[in-house]
Amino acid sequence: MFTRDQFERACQVFAKKHSQWKWASARNPGYGYLMRTTTHMRKSFVQTDELAELVEDLEEGVEVITSADLASSLTVNVVENIVYCASFSVPAFYFAVHNSSGAPLPLNEIIQTSFFKISLPKDATSNDFALTVPSGSFPLLSQGDHPTLGAPWWYFHPCETDKAVGEFMKEEDQALCEDERLIRWMEIWLMIVGNVLNV
Amino acid sequence: MPLVQFAPLSSLVQPVLWHKLTDLKIDVLKLSDAAVPLTGSYTIGRTIKDRETGQDIALPCNLTVGAESFESDFKAPHGSVTAPGMLRNFNTIEEFKAVDKTALFNEEAQLIWDHILKTRDTAQLNRFFVITFADLKKYKYYYWFAFPAFVAKPAWEIGDDGWKRAHAELGIEQLTFIHSHLRNSASPYFLVGKDTFGKVKAGPVEDYSSFFSSTGPEDQLIGFVDPSADPANPGWPLRNLLAYLRALYPSSTSSIKILRWRDTEAPSPNAQWKSQIGTLTIATTTEAISEANTRPTAVGWEKNPQGKLGPRMADLAPMMDPSRLAAQAVDLNLKLMRWRILPSLDLDKISSTRCLLLGAGTLGCYVARALMGWGVRTITFVDSAKVSFSNPVRQPLFVFEDCLDGGKPKAECAAASLKKIFPGINTVGHSMSIPMPGHPIPNNPTSLNQAKSDVAKLEQLIDEHDAVFLLMDSRESRWLPTVVGASKKKIILNAALGFDTYLVMRHGARASSLTTGHDGKPHQKLGCYYCNDIVAPADSLTDRTLDQMCTVTRPGLAPIAAATAVEILASLLQHPDGLYASPPPPTTTGSANMDDESTNSVLGQVPHQLRGFLNQFRAMPLVGAAYDKCTGCSETVLKAYETQGFDMLLKAFNETKYLEKLTGLDKLFDESEAALESVEWEEEGEDDF
Repeated sequence: MFTRDQFERACQVFAKKHSQWKWASARNPGYGYLMRTTTHMRKSFVQTDELAELVEDLEEGVEVITSADLASSLTVNVVENIVYCASFSVPAFYFAVHNSSGAPLPLNEIIQTSFFKISLPKDATSNDFALTVPSGSFPLLSQGDHPTLGAPWWYFHPCETDKAVGEFMKEEDQALCEDERLIRWMEIWLMIVGNVLNV
Repeated sequence: MPLVQFAPLSSLVQPVLWHKLTDLKIDVLKLSDAAVPLTGSYTIGRTIKDRETGQDIALPCNLTVGAESFESDFKAPHGSVTAPGMLRNFNTIEEFKAVDKTALFNEEAQLIWDHILKTRDTAQLNRFFVITFADLKKYKYYYWFAFPAFVAKPAWEIGDDGWKRAHAELGIEQLTFIHSHLRNSASPYFLVGKDTFGKVKAGPVEDYSSFFSSTGPEDQLIGFVDPSADPANPGWPLRNLLAYLRALYPSSTSSIKILRWRDTEAPSPNAQWKSQIGTLTIATTTEAISEANTRPTAVGWEKNPQGKLGPRMADLAPMMDPSRLAAQAVDLNLKLMRWRILPSLDLDKISSTRCLLLGAGTLGCYVARALMGWGVRTITFVDSAKVSFSNPVRQPLFVFEDCLDGGKPKAECAAASLKKIFPGINTVGHSMSIPMPGHPIPNNPTSLNQAKSDVAKLEQLIDEHDAVFLLMDSRESRWLPTVVGASKKKIILNAALGFDTYLVMRHGARASSLTTGHDGKPHQKLGCYYCNDIVAPADSLTDRTLDQMCTVTRPGLAPIAAATAVEILASLLQHPDGLYASPPPPTTTGSANMDDESTNSVLGQVPHQLRGFLNQFRAMPLVGAAYDKCTGCSETVLKAYETQGFDMLLKAFNETKYLEKLTGLDKLFDESEAALESVEWEEEGEDDF
């Protein structure tokens, strides 16, 4: 369980140790969050050729390029936020996934990117998502309002977080100082999230 | 010796950029298409492991533009370098298409070239630009990036042994030194050499003429932060660095050693440094040297995902269009039901069922609301009346304003109301009367034509929908849709209210279409609203007292009945037999029959009829068998309708005994009258059910 102040403290010290994460402060104190941007790939991509009529005949001459060019449409950009969830007094993992043009990916495509570790059963209709929840350690994926930004983001429901991390924290060295304990909490929690996501 | 091949840059736009562009256009640019400074960034190339093959895949060389790209004090995020650029936004797709792209490209290339020659610095070497068209109504952003790079003629070649591991030539100490130098300076291009003491040093490319004074030729390295993770091919930004060197120092740069810097962090003990060194050479000719100051041709328009030279488009409607957001939220809410409680629920089956609501009164309004809760996307209303002052309190789709000036037509008003609640709904209201038996059509052409077109309209509406709700306020008005619906094999749900009692039922499927169910048992012959009648529907509306005219009911009754009707539909749609689903066997005791679940859908039972008694807060499931002399659904009536069409219907409307004669009910009536004559009964008043 974290108070808002503890959460902020935990994030600050965590970001110092893991420089990829940056603290983003919000207008209201206590509503800041940690953020990180990563790149991932998707397996396949079918784009409608609606822009075909805009193709132009530009003189580009003989060009020596490599095959990495076509893979650009398979890139996805993931923005990860660690946000404080007031109802459960724990951090919650929020993320948003976009393709290289900035458009958001629908859920069925998000599952098929390299961001997700486990491959879920394919479903006939799109947007269906059924997660088998191993008891206790893994929360459900939902879409909800980002507590600070207000926009709809994907997040892992934090109802099981406290219990799950608590189990691991018991094994930790109890002589750690407060800061180290907070960092360790975050690291363990991200490992649990890492069971499902490549974080 | 092989030619050097360069890995191109790919644009990576973060959605915030589009939001910022929108704001910029609305607040600042308005209609101007002037160039706006934009800063991008790129990092050292990364690889990720393919889960399935276990191989490393090189991520494309992404040039990212995002939240702070429009800010003048843009700072590169940790581990990346910046590239200056510009954006030009056009106001229409035509302007976007029509702009002279070659001229624009050459202007930018010239800018870079002039900068090299005049200032002799590397600030603009990785310059890029993008043209855009923002369609703010549809939330679509068309864009096209270009990364101008000068073409070397002749082309650069690399030694036969290609790109070698940097740590073969540089020790860990030197590599670590370079790493921390770059961490502090974040420069995309740099030089590595040796100072007078023989220790490694690093510095800006601008110092080229003096930097290598104490460095032997073998130790002179020209480095760049390489966004390419492909060991075989260096990244695009190298091209302009090479052009810079050839333009300013042609005599000493025909053979150079390039350091591809590819280490964001120092490697872990088991891993190796990724950076590479290669010796590049270029054939020198006297004309090459003399032409050193003329701008070479440049290439670099980004190809679209199909590999052609064309723009890209970002469709942000799912994120920004409020109607889309509403639709997504509604869908998500329903899916939670599925994910958490009933994984086998087929939500699409329900939401795609097109529902026709005959009657937009109390029942109609509540049915529509419940259907929307299930995500049903097509709801059509039919009603002939106007909203009256007593309606809004009991009919939740109407408000006070709708009653003024004679009152809005109920059907259209209900549809408009639905749209206000959920813009994504597909809804229409039709103001029309439904012709009915016991209400003869006057024998003049106008009336006859009106009746004909009303019938045709109703037939068409029933045809275009999957489920029909009979929610009118009279018995006889339900007859025509019953017949048409049975003939067209549609799902029909019927709801009728008494003062504190209700009937909700689903009509049975047409007898001639029954076969066998999923459980192997034959389909049951279930009846319709009229199956229990021994008289045909007649005029029940004329000569009513006031309390009989407006169906006075306990207010809580309508929502209960309406909701029940919708839930019966939902359960029916989830049943594998659908319209032919068997109802639960009727229980004679009060206990719920939990044993025989073979008749159930995933939502539970699919009753045939429910009779509710609000004074006891009880609902009784019943099963009514189909009656072969039914005036509503018997084969006789349906066949007569199908063969004779409107003529048959007209007789039903106009002639009081027609339906009874057609089905043979008249004879039955005579027989039972005769039987009754012989017995003394105490007569009770008939409840109008």
